[in-house]
Amino acid sequence: MSKKGTSTFIFQRATAVLLIPLGAWVLFNIVVALGRDYAGAQAWLSEPLNAVLIGAFVIIGAMHMRIGMAEIIIDYIHSWMKDVLLAINWLVSIGLVAAVVWSIYSFSFSG
Amino acid sequence: MTKGASASRPLSPHLQIWRFTVTMAASITHRGTGVVLYGGTLLLAAWVVGAAMSPPLFSVVSSLIHSPFGFFIVLGYVWALAFHMMNGLRHLYWDSGRGLAPKTATMTAWLIYVASFLLAVIILWTGFAAGGAA
Repeated sequence: MSKKGTSTFIFQRATAVLLIPLGAWVLFNIVVALGRDYAGAQAWLSEPLNAVLIGAFVIIGAMHMRIGMAEIIIDYIHSWMKDVLLAINWLVSIGLVAAVVWSIYSFSFSG
Repeated sequence: MTKGASASRPLSPHLQIWRFTVTMAASITHRGTGVVLYGGTLLLAAWVVGAAMSPPLFSVVSSLIHSPFGFFIVLGYVWALAFHMMNGLRHLYWDSGRGLAPKTATMTAWLIYVASFLLAVIILWTGFAAGGAA
């Protein structure tokens, strides 16, 4: 994170701005969506609008989450564990993006 | 600066030094809700991945959400998202150089606690009435 604080600061604000409309959409749809059974969930995610918006929320959310969690790690962890946790944080965020992209992709072409 | 000396110095003022204020509580809650959203979004992603390619994963996530404990997971995620978004708007407003006066910051902190609680209640109420989770 060192030496590029300004770009990280701006990126955290840019993702925050994008996450406000996406988060609002998630807030008003998530409770009903999570109540669906397997077939219902597949049908819901096969709607392009739902797939794109949930995908965008998780992907942009992953970028925002990575910066926020890195800030917490840097604030509280001062041992060799810091670098390990920062690396895990990167991997979790990248894995999150990859998993959701792959899922949405599979819905677009098989659903 | 030796290693021993740096290890014994405090890193920042400790919580017990400060008089408790609602602005401080909102700051801590912003971090806390951020962590909740980190975990909750991983669970949400597991739900999406399960629906896409893994019925066993979907059934694990779905049964967790539909368990009695699941109500608190959904409640926690919805309130955390409502709070973090509203307080995030407060932070963006601060970034513009406004709203930083102690009186204003205290008022907006209270406002966000109340508004995020009400919004979460409305969302859960209408969501469950429409056949939502848990």
